[in-house]
Amino acid sequence: MNRNQRSRNPLLKEEGSFGTAFGWTYVLFFFATLANPLCADEPKLPSPPVEVLRAQDQRIAAMELASRSTVGVFGTDGQGGGSGVILTNSGYVITNYHVSSPFGDRMRCGLSDGKMYEAVIVGIDPTGDIALLKMYGRSDFPAAVIADSDTVKAGHWCFAAGNPFVLATNLQPTITYGIVSGVRRYQYPAGTILEYTDCIQTDAAINPGNSGGPLFNAEGHLIGINGRCSFEKRGRVNVGVGYAISINQVLKFVGQLRAGRLVDHASLGFTVGSDPEGKVVVTNILESSDAFRRGLRYGDEILSLGGREVRTVNQLKNVTGIFPSDWRISLRYRNGEGVVDTFIRLPRLHYEGELWAILEGESKPELPKEGRPEGKGKDGKEVPDGDAERSQDSQSAPSTKSKPIDPLADRLEKRKGFVNFYFNRQELRRVVSLQEAFRFWKETKPVWNGKGNVLGEPTSMEFSTSKDRLAMLVGGKEWSIDAKGNWSQSIQNKESSLLLAGLSLFHRWHRDGPNMLGDAFYFGDAPIENSKSYFDVVQVTFGDAECRFHSDPSSGEIRLIEIKGEEDQDPAEIYFDSYQQEGERRWPNRVRLQFGLEPVLQLEVKASEWIEGAPVPLENATSATSTKKEAGGSP
Amino acid sequence: MISLLRCLPLHAILMFLLGTSHCWVRSDDPSRPLGPADFASMLDAAQMKLVKIYGAGGLKGLESYQSGFFISDQGHVLTSWSTVLDIDKIRIVTHDGKKWEGELIGSDPVTELAIVKIEGDGFPFFRLNPNQKAEVGDRIFGLSNLFGIAAGEELQSIQRGVIMASTTLASRRGRMKTPYQGPIYVIDAMTNNPGATGGALITLRGELLGILGKELRDEGSGIWLNYAIPVDVVAESSRNILEGKTIKKPAEVVVAKRPHRLIDLGLTLVPNVLPKTPAYVDQVAIDSIAARSGLKPNDLVIAINGQRVDSRKALEELISTIDRADPVALLIQRGNELVSIEIRP
Repeated sequence: MNRNQRSRNPLLKEEGSFGTAFGWTYVLFFFATLANPLCADEPKLPSPPVEVLRAQDQRIAAMELASRSTVGVFGTDGQGGGSGVILTNSGYVITNYHVSSPFGDRMRCGLSDGKMYEAVIVGIDPTGDIALLKMYGRSDFPAAVIADSDTVKAGHWCFAAGNPFVLATNLQPTITYGIVSGVRRYQYPAGTILEYTDCIQTDAAINPGNSGGPLFNAEGHLIGINGRCSFEKRGRVNVGVGYAISINQVLKFVGQLRAGRLVDHASLGFTVGSDPEGKVVVTNILESSDAFRRGLRYGDEILSLGGREVRTVNQLKNVTGIFPSDWRISLRYRNGEGVVDTFIRLPRLHYEGELWAILEGESKPELPKEGRPEGKGKDGKEVPDGDAERSQDSQSAPSTKSKPIDPLADRLEKRKGFVNFYFNRQELRRVVSLQEAFRFWKETKPVWNGKGNVLGEPTSMEFSTSKDRLAMLVGGKEWSIDAKGNWSQSIQNKESSLLLAGLSLFHRWHRDGPNMLGDAFYFGDAPIENSKSYFDVVQVTFGDAECRFHSDPSSGEIRLIEIKGEEDQDPAEIYFDSYQQEGERRWPNRVRLQFGLEPVLQLEVKASEWIEGAPVPLENATSATSTKKEAGGSP
Repeated sequence: MISLLRCLPLHAILMFLLGTSHCWVRSDDPSRPLGPADFASMLDAAQMKLVKIYGAGGLKGLESYQSGFFISDQGHVLTSWSTVLDIDKIRIVTHDGKKWEGELIGSDPVTELAIVKIEGDGFPFFRLNPNQKAEVGDRIFGLSNLFGIAAGEELQSIQRGVIMASTTLASRRGRMKTPYQGPIYVIDAMTNNPGATGGALITLRGELLGILGKELRDEGSGIWLNYAIPVDVVAESSRNILEGKTIKKPAEVVVAKRPHRLIDLGLTLVPNVLPKTPAYVDQVAIDSIAARSGLKPNDLVIAINGQRVDSRKALEELISTIDRADPVALLIQRGNELVSIEIRP
């Protein structure tokens, strides 16, 4: 096609074009048009190519789908405004922490159905800039379809939905379209505790008010939460560089957020640097860290973490940042002798109480303002985009008169160490209610006696657990252990008798309920061993011992009880590897005690009985006293 | 015949009105529309040709990094001439995270382009095809390390946009501060951010359309311009640089028997206090040769006889190679304008 024709509108050029060769074409065209007034109506207009129309239809459909799950987040009197996205039909909403924090505990969410819904804070992750809210008023909130954000590649189409500049007075989200500019970006903390790891960079316009809103792929499936931009000298508007927290990272934290907690991110317990050959090597390591106990030492080369290859320091920071603290993930490293595959527990990024102290220090959380000295790190300065202008006040969104009684007052329970303990109770109730299959335990007598053998060996085994006494006879040797949770010395000595502690905790959990054991709360979810799925984790303080019960989120079966000792010790892990069903009765028939990654004792329980009263001394036992006879060592 | 003629402009109007949708299939092979998968693999291939450049700067809003790309498999990297390159050891990082030491081959004061070379061969590169043109409405990708987001082996940032205009950069004092006044593509995306200069502007199929220019702001309106220098200009400028027409360092200094001396010309430059003091004119003696030639205080000497001058020292060296009897062609930056001046003894 001729460039002149394309880039100019010939109708406007009639006079000037008379002398040119093209002119005559236009003149002819002009007269032809006059001569035939139907010309304009002639159905000769070439319709746009089919694939263009199809692509457009797909895009519109994706945006309609996406718009339904996009929400505007406002204060209770309608002020301010950020964005969010619906995660579940029950009304859980993800937004940025820096969006929710100015509103405190209560906010309102505007949906594309044109209605405002009351919402309450559930949990926060200030480091990852995520907050979880719960909306009320519908039982069928339109949840976003979630994609696997690890499959997102630079060059893929994407679009952001949200409420930039609080434009959406009718609550219809604004859509901005773009492509993925880069993936697995690491953004240094910008003078705050915010750290964006492993995020998705896009050139879709991300402006103030887009914060907390969703980033979708071309199909309208959720891939990230928008929250941050590079601004620098061009003012606080889009400069073609926006960042979204990957949805895969968010989902790792959702379980802990649903627990009504303030969630902390993970650290490693060691630091790394690049050696001259570009390898990522350990430059410092805490001797109390799990990684140290798994053999990692100064100078060792890190090869992968959490199943993801690590070739640069940034990559390691990226991978570390996507995990909540206390998770146990795989680590591959190389030392002088070869490659080691192991698992490490990730320590907290902040020390106990540090995050609370920081947040209390900023009663109004610190939002970087224009002109404020910005973060260190790379030259491109990134700051959270803040929320949209508050000056618009209540005009910007429909608001109802403030009511004297908060309709969600009973959905908010303040408790030290928690953001909203109401939801913790809900989750704990859920976990217990899943354990219907273990109902008969409630009716069992207080003493549980079991018989069997050491797994894979002819060595016979008997045990007896009750509230007052825990004893076990393995191959003629008797072990016993304190029944009140005074176990830290045993954990330090890695005593086999800790298996009894696990059996007893298991019994009492099912018989009396977690709250009768001690102070119990829902911790969140976490993977165990090699599992790809996450397990519900309930933490109970039993006597002096901090115990974590890991149960299967579908069957309710307890799979692991972890008993924590001193900070620098491996906790005792008691795994319930399989269960036996006899009529109504269901008990664990394979039980394994483990420290670190080493199994110490594995038992096969072939028969169980529950009896009344004082424990009957084990028949073969030479002594029935509760004194400790032996410590450590496998039978 | 009439109907054919009638349809031609009608078609033109329609195509014009259809704008972007037209471009969806127009760009190259109309039989196959491009999908996201094509982009991802094409962009992966393009990324291999890009490099991250680190050098001087890091102070007072001057970035110490920028972008560049290979234009030969022999390690020639095209980038923008800027203060980043004003350092002995220019650090180049290729897509695989490997670090290289680059040597400045030369620069073109008019286009403000420069070529840096690293040792080695077999590098993936963009062909400088002067016939690769973009038209208004064409969709493009911009690839650069804007804001220095990517480090090491991390891939550079990709932006997508449309050519808004194909025009001539009207730079002048108080408007667009740049010596370059040639053709440009104006882009509707925020491509020209800090560190983006030297990045690649490519078609949807990965062919090079131009090089992303330096940050440019209209001081009148405060608007930042997102633009690229077209590949035909780039190709010619690169050839000039490679052929040594705008060599940075004279290969060998041959001192003339009776060379020009600044004092004879009536020219005083600013004191030589830095390792690379820019060759600014401090004073021009009244009625001197310099004054008659039109030199003025605050002029910055950029080139002598077509050879780039990056410091006062370089100017003195270069001028000492020219005999007093010979004329000297100076390229001067005065404010935002480039001025050619000839000194006739």
